[in-house]
Amino acid sequence: MSWRKIWVVLRREFQFNFKRPSFLFTALGLPVLMVAAMFLTVKITSGRETDLSKFLTIGYIDRADIITQNDPGDSEITYQPVTAPDLTPLADDADPDARAAYFAALEEAAAQQVVDGALDGYFVVSDQYVLTGQIDLFAQGNIPRALYEEVEDFMRAQIAALAPADLPVSQDRLREDPSITIRDIDSNDELSDAALIGRFLLPFIFVLVYAMAVNTTAQFLMNGVVEEKENRLMEILATSLRPLDLLWGKLLGLGALSLTQVVLWLGAGLIIMQVNDDAREFISGVTFRAGDLVLIAVLFLINFMLYAAIMLGIGASVTAEAEGRQFAGIFTFITVTPMMLLVTFFENPNGLLPQIFTFFPLTAATGLILRMGLTTLPTWQILLSVGIQIVSVLVVMWLAAKVFRLGMLMYGKPLTPRALWQALREGHVTLTTATAEAAPQRSRKRKGLWR
Amino acid sequence: MTPSALDHAISVQNVTKRYGSFVAVDDFTFDVRPGEIFAMLGPNGAGKTTTLRMILDILKPDSGAISVLGGPITDSAKDRIGYLPEERGLYRDVPVLQVLTYLGQLKGMSQGEAERRATELLHHVDLGDNVKSKVSELSKGMQQKVQVVATILHHPDLIIVDEPFAGLDPVNTQVIKDLLYEMNRDGMTIVMSTHQMHQIEEMADRLVMIDHGHRVLYGSVQEVRDRFAQNAVIVEGQGDWAALSGVTAVEVHDNGREFLLRLAEGTTPDQIMHAAAVGKDYHVRRFELAVPSLNEIFIQVAGGNGTNGGR
Repeated sequence: MSWRKIWVVLRREFQFNFKRPSFLFTALGLPVLMVAAMFLTVKITSGRETDLSKFLTIGYIDRADIITQNDPGDSEITYQPVTAPDLTPLADDADPDARAAYFAALEEAAAQQVVDGALDGYFVVSDQYVLTGQIDLFAQGNIPRALYEEVEDFMRAQIAALAPADLPVSQDRLREDPSITIRDIDSNDELSDAALIGRFLLPFIFVLVYAMAVNTTAQFLMNGVVEEKENRLMEILATSLRPLDLLWGKLLGLGALSLTQVVLWLGAGLIIMQVNDDAREFISGVTFRAGDLVLIAVLFLINFMLYAAIMLGIGASVTAEAEGRQFAGIFTFITVTPMMLLVTFFENPNGLLPQIFTFFPLTAATGLILRMGLTTLPTWQILLSVGIQIVSVLVVMWLAAKVFRLGMLMYGKPLTPRALWQALREGHVTLTTATAEAAPQRSRKRKGLWR
Repeated sequence: MTPSALDHAISVQNVTKRYGSFVAVDDFTFDVRPGEIFAMLGPNGAGKTTTLRMILDILKPDSGAISVLGGPITDSAKDRIGYLPEERGLYRDVPVLQVLTYLGQLKGMSQGEAERRATELLHHVDLGDNVKSKVSELSKGMQQKVQVVATILHHPDLIIVDEPFAGLDPVNTQVIKDLLYEMNRDGMTIVMSTHQMHQIEEMADRLVMIDHGHRVLYGSVQEVRDRFAQNAVIVEGQGDWAALSGVTAVEVHDNGREFLLRLAEGTTPDQIMHAAAVGKDYHVRRFELAVPSLNEIFIQVAGGNGTNGGR
């Protein structure tokens, strides 16, 4: 191996691909866009969710006959029963059909009053409210979260008002929200709402970033090989350095690029954490420990090598970039399958499907990280998954190197599986590279490709 | 070891290469001497590219031995070879100087050295204004010149060029030809594979011709031509050529302007020239030996009419 030439290829691959618009967009533009989109969404939705200025008068239809106070607290909203002047009041002994007709007419009147602007919204307390707590809230356009909370407070006040005087719970307590503190089962640390969401979402975001970084750069590798084949550069390269040196230079150069991408994203994440309290809380929900992060780094390396080797093999086998992209798409689809079936991980991280993903080579890294983020995995499962991945990488890289050496000089015609199988079965391929070995006659006895 | 101190720049001995049941090169032997311009010719599919690839260690022969620059090819020997393949290309969306620097570095040059030499050579082939142009922005001929620069950039001891003039106009052909002559004068050995017979006649010292994997011609260009020379002369002028003593047949060539006079055994061209000169009914404008051009020899040999000239 010539490390000097590997370094030349490594540097060229890194520098050339770093300047690609697609890399710059993925590495720099995408995080900026995502942060901007997140920021805008939070700004817009938070305003929408807390703004009650359009809700001054709210009507109610009390089918459960439970509301006794129209102004129970310090709310700025005026609550009033929905009335319909033309409607005959409901008799106390009215049968169910008459009740249903009455309330239907009342709801119709309420809806009309909302349209007319007399009411800004209304809610219906169901017949079985005491048992079910069911309330239906109506308004035009977006109903902010704050309005739900106002109505909940209003209804809790009604229940408190009905409580017997000798109830050993104060009326104020009955008016308040229940106070629940969510704590981490291991550390006993308090988890905020944001941290709780982060606990579920972060492994997913992590895996998404991870898969994007690996796939982007591995596909650069494929495109590079296809380009060198299409442009007929391979023959010049083949007489300048060994295929294995070329292969390693490309793998290391693009591996470094992939790592750069992840570092840029992590850096962006850390900066956001520093300046945004919500982001810090969100990230505090992550369950990964320092040891897990080391394991994730190792998985990243293995996973990159696996995909890079696959892409290298595809690049050497096909004759055009478009053809390569089709094959690459199949593998990319397999990688993202765990993310597409994320709900199965949320439902039961130890279920059959998440376990299959953990042990299937192409999804093992993503499957393992997703499960590690959601549950505590037995050590044997982690070791088995990593072991499967290491063996897969070795096999795929060995195969990719053969394909690379077979296909690199096949211009204009694809490397067929039959030709590959024949080469593997015969134990040698036609293409070889320079060595200091003596007489070429001896090459007839040589079986392996790797030196 | 300098090339001139070697017996052979390249030595191919009894090399055979098969692709499955197809024998691409069969027991092929030839040597290339240090400092010469050597031509390899043959019809399409004859085994030229396979042979060149074996010399460059891209392919391994099934049997036989190849020695390059004094021994079996090694990585360091590869750095002393410049190769211009028939199937050629460059990174399209990269500036010319950047491509050349990269290729130079792969041949063992430092970045600065490769940049300096590439700039110098680009100016030499009238591409000084295109140093920063992307390869895709250049014309086909200009790209071809960049390819040739890439081949000689690292000042190799041995240059192997496959169809170096393909796609070039006469002006650029001359530029590349001059460059190759210059490299040869500097001591570089040049192996050239081409179909352009007049280029071989003009440039090459020696040649080998391969057909169906076999060597069919080998030797200096003049030797090969002499070997195919007939006992005949070509004349231009007026006169009853068939009436000359010793002429057995007359063939009219070139729309009647030229006549091929076949001579009887024992008759020499000098005797015919003398007879025509003294005969008052003969007027001679041109008189030459009927030595076939390489093109004619190529057609004759590749068409299956060749003698066993592979000596």
